[in-house]
Amino acid sequence: MTTTLIESEDRREYKATRRRGLVVDLSMTLATILAALVIGFLVMLATGKDPIAAYEALLTGPLERSFRVGRWLEDATTLTLLGLSVAIPFRARQISLGAESQLYAGALAAATVAIFLPLPPVAAVIVPMAAAAAAGAGMGFVPGSMKARLGANEIVATLMLNAIVVRVYDYLVNGPLKEPGSSAVHSEPIQPDSALTPLTEWLGIPFGRANVGFLLMLLTAVALWLLITRTPLGYRIRMTGSNPHFAEYGGIRVPRAIEWSFVIGGAVAGLAGAHLVQGVYGRLEPGLAGSLAFEGIVVALLARNNPLVVVVAGLFYSYLRAGGDIMEQQTDVGTEIVVVIQAVIVLLVTAQALPDLLKRRLARRQAGTSHKRSGTSDKRTGASHGKADAR
Amino acid sequence: MNESWDPAGPAVATRAVTKTYANGVRAVRGVDLDVPAGEIRAVVGENGAGKSTLMKLCYGLEQPTSGELLIGGRPRVLRGPASAIALGVGMVHQNLMLVPSFTVAQNVVLGVEPGRRGRLDGRAAVEATARLAEEAGLAVDPLARVEEVSVGMRQRAEILKALHRRARVLILDEPTAVLTPQETEDLFAAVRRLRDGGMTVLFISHKLREVREISDKVSVMRAGALVGTVTTADTTERSLAAMMVGREMSLDVTRAPARRAGTTLRVRGLAYAAPTGQPLHGLDFDVAAGEIVGVAGIEGNGQTELAEILAGLRRPGAGTVRVGDTDTAGLDVAGHRRAGVGYVPEDRLHDGAALDESIADNLVVDRHDRPPLARRGILRPAAVRAHAERLIEDYAIRTPDPSVPVRALSGGNMQKVVVARELSAGPRLLIASQVTRGVDIGAMRFMYERLVAARDEGAAVLLISADLTELLALSDRLLVLKDGRLVGRFDDTTGLTEKGVGLYMLGVEHHERAHLTAGLDDTAGSDGTAGPDNTGPRDTGPRDAGSGDSGKATPE
Amino acid sequence: MSSVLDVVLSSAFLAAVLRVATPYLLAAMGGLVAERAGISNIALEGQMLSAACTGALVAGYSGSVAAGALAGVAVAVLLGLLLAALRLELGADAIIAGIGLNLLASGGTAFAVYTLLDDKGGTSGLRSGTLPAVTLPGIEDIPVVGDVLSGQNTVTWLAFLAAPFVAWLFYRTRFGFHLRAVGEMPDAAASVGIAVRRVQYAGLALSGALAGLAGVFLSMGYVSFFVRDMTAGRGFIALAAVFLGGLRPWGVFLAALGFGAAEALAVQLGTLDVPPQLVSTIPYALTLVALALYAWRRKRRGAAEVAPASL
Repeated sequence: MTTTLIESEDRREYKATRRRGLVVDLSMTLATILAALVIGFLVMLATGKDPIAAYEALLTGPLERSFRVGRWLEDATTLTLLGLSVAIPFRARQISLGAESQLYAGALAAATVAIFLPLPPVAAVIVPMAAAAAAGAGMGFVPGSMKARLGANEIVATLMLNAIVVRVYDYLVNGPLKEPGSSAVHSEPIQPDSALTPLTEWLGIPFGRANVGFLLMLLTAVALWLLITRTPLGYRIRMTGSNPHFAEYGGIRVPRAIEWSFVIGGAVAGLAGAHLVQGVYGRLEPGLAGSLAFEGIVVALLARNNPLVVVVAGLFYSYLRAGGDIMEQQTDVGTEIVVVIQAVIVLLVTAQALPDLLKRRLARRQAGTSHKRSGTSDKRTGASHGKADAR
Repeated sequence: MNESWDPAGPAVATRAVTKTYANGVRAVRGVDLDVPAGEIRAVVGENGAGKSTLMKLCYGLEQPTSGELLIGGRPRVLRGPASAIALGVGMVHQNLMLVPSFTVAQNVVLGVEPGRRGRLDGRAAVEATARLAEEAGLAVDPLARVEEVSVGMRQRAEILKALHRRARVLILDEPTAVLTPQETEDLFAAVRRLRDGGMTVLFISHKLREVREISDKVSVMRAGALVGTVTTADTTERSLAAMMVGREMSLDVTRAPARRAGTTLRVRGLAYAAPTGQPLHGLDFDVAAGEIVGVAGIEGNGQTELAEILAGLRRPGAGTVRVGDTDTAGLDVAGHRRAGVGYVPEDRLHDGAALDESIADNLVVDRHDRPPLARRGILRPAAVRAHAERLIEDYAIRTPDPSVPVRALSGGNMQKVVVARELSAGPRLLIASQVTRGVDIGAMRFMYERLVAARDEGAAVLLISADLTELLALSDRLLVLKDGRLVGRFDDTTGLTEKGVGLYMLGVEHHERAHLTAGLDDTAGSDGTAGPDNTGPRDTGPRDAGSGDSGKATPE
Repeated sequence: MSSVLDVVLSSAFLAAVLRVATPYLLAAMGGLVAERAGISNIALEGQMLSAACTGALVAGYSGSVAAGALAGVAVAVLLGLLLAALRLELGADAIIAGIGLNLLASGGTAFAVYTLLDDKGGTSGLRSGTLPAVTLPGIEDIPVVGDVLSGQNTVTWLAFLAAPFVAWLFYRTRFGFHLRAVGEMPDAAASVGIAVRRVQYAGLALSGALAGLAGVFLSMGYVSFFVRDMTAGRGFIALAAVFLGGLRPWGVFLAALGFGAAEALAVQLGTLDVPPQLVSTIPYALTLVALALYAWRRKRRGAAEVAPASL
């Protein structure tokens, strides 16, 4: 990979290049998404489906009714929180796959408090969420400190914790926390005061299960963005991720920065669990999170771990998920194609050499075509002259 | 293997070979080398003179930008080590290329294993290794794991590797750097035996004594070019040193005599031990406020370890380090920085900068959590930016904007970022390690001026460099490190020559302990009171240094 | 507790352990080969899933169990090669690319099944059959051993042969020798003229084949149909076995067998009063502890060598 030296001192010129670079990055991202959609299109075509009808449902469906919008926002809330939860450790260059365990720990903590602890109205919402954040943070601390203090592989540690916590959760929902006397496997419902207010109540339009959690998610994203860009801790996390040797040389306690990144990420994943319990289901359900935890990683990746962009990516990704369901109802194309599209996006995003390859090819072609273009433009001016003459 | 050799031609030759790297550095310029078969040829030069690059070209690890390479008397194009190996070239790298968990025998046969139809015959590998070792007189234990054997045995395994591939040319890149004297003896005996059997040996080194002992001829490189080739018998260490050192471009720095004001850095009995890296043995020295103390020495003699201990990146094994009134030996990096230690690291790409982060962020790593940059736990971007703009202005960093990532800067500009950060902290003690490595002349001059300015403002500066010219131009006093020990101390650098100091670096000369510790308080055995300034014995230069009595010093 | 002992000591239980451990053993060996080649294969899960789905579909439509198995393994090999290409040619992070491939497998298999069979759950509507069992003449007459071994699937036998095979490959063949060198010290391997990338491609292909076999067993041995996301995290557990087993064939074999035994036990205990979910956490908790201890030991040993003060 060759980097171009920026030595000119012309600030205006630099700003122009930077703007151009941003445009290139943005169009790369859009191109990635477009490429994935094209692949999905081709797959449908190859399997004898009607891709145009399918994409119409996929891309316009979620906005057609207000309750569908609600479904989208509700899903986006959980997904974005999960994306944020891995984006923070990723900033410290820690591959934490532990969002699943942190989410379930958070859900358990939130539910336990919200079901069994009588609390006054406002505290009834806040205390379970705080408990969830704490439980998630604790679940992040374990692999975080194993990595920071001992150098234990964080991927294996988080995967093992996931396996353990998912099973313990399953046991608790099927056993001690199962609603007595109910034939269905789930917990008792939470106390009404603990529920996150549905947006329907506020806006008077049926918004499904979308709730205040959506706004809390937006606040969390802004808070994390401030944390990363505007606090010394965020600075330490960034430098640790960028070059741990430099961070250490500069006097930063690298293990502590790594631990904090895990703890903060864990707390946010815990909040995602609280959102599912207090906002969406109102109780513990088996397999609460589905495959959301891993999809959070995709969202973070797509957003290059920038908290504000994670929101955009989360909204986009959930939109595809919501659209996929509608597409399945209205056409004979399965919602799974959306997962395929998402997978293609991940693979294209992670292929880091690909943009460089394309850029180099583009640069070469540009060098080639600029010759041609100057040639053709001459001709064109010539032709227009001719036309003018003819006129 | 061993494709057709022309017996009449040279074993290895280069014709006007030039290597320019992608970043514009020209490491080798128009070198014409001619090594006949059956000769031991030493290639010597200072660090960065291009020896290693030249050898990489001969082994196919790098491809020449222009010029022609001959092996076995015929022009060749080496696409990689595999084609070099096929032509009968073997190389023993400075950082050995062995698989740690494999046995010696396994490493020797790796790539050309005995055995039929894809199977591996372990016993044959052991036998082949033992036989080769016997023939070449290189003692190894074929069944020992490489990670568990001594460095010397690892190196012998590397040579056996080349022999197993029937190498006819053997390149040894600084082979003795890691060996004990006895191991070096044995290695030389083996190399001579190989030469007598027809092997051509290219021996890279900057230890002139060894070069004189082992080689038939010596080729001297300087700044990427071949200065000359001489018959070893006609040389002395001094004559070789004269060919090696010196830079055509002289950078005279005008500086007033140092105005010393009390001891800032006080190091006593500093020792450090580690299985990897150079151990340090009982270092005693002071650096006063307002002086630049140079540390000379061939690279790898403990400079890195010393600098990193003083900066807090490594913990000393024994001894005390005081910076001002603070005992820093037990502190972490942040503690060192609080005590007023600034450090320009020797490899800015490794730990001196976060390349993908902005210049502004790189300039605040040691002060990001304090006013004016941070208040009440909030980092203020405007303040960080203003801070960066000021330093960009003050240190003439060529960039359009503080938000430019450091990766986009040239070597000299990048180093200015590092120096700007360390100097703007107003350090009491500045450790400057290889400050001008890989920077252009303009930036070099700038660094020199800044170091002198820092000194004049009262900082104690410890200047570590592989560049003797630079050390002599800047140092008020000079220390010489060899094998992790202080072997030379010059309290007055006027009149000192590179050759004179070179003799200490090479271990030809050394000062007595009494001279080295003269004037230091609290050293083992002596109990002086005053600082080193003016009270220590003066060394008047190389002529004096060369004579036996210069080491005589009388502790007060 | 005596009832627990009765369960554990029964030959039916031992037979169940062999069956349950089969996918773990194969996938873990696949993970081991990739890891030793220097590329972490976190896509084991996706490779198993794709192989399971392809196997059941191809067998169902072609009527040939062998064709199904071969097709399943082939798809997993392709995914392995794709991972290698992403890593080696396009500079992708192996972990993230692996996650992407797992997603692709999860979505792709579910999409394929739904498209072909109009069934969300799996291929139970398709008659695809199972791979044959191995019957050794006379073995059924041996007490206990006969009960345990008789009627075990071909793939189960292959799974138990996988560890000796990989051990033989690693330590007795030129390819394995090169693979270990490439994974441990690519520079050293390259410096003696070994084609590092080619070896890594081959390693990832083999890794995929082993994972593919594990997947084929799930849909054509364990049961006779494909169920959506039927691998249920087995690929990740296999990966943990790779690390727990210390990256050595027999160590990984024991770790994978242990995971299999714990799962079989959890299933058996479901009939008793012990919560099976809690029993099944034991191997993961042990892995976590082992990981910490291993790292601690390595750190202590490393600390003696280089001691960066602040770490």
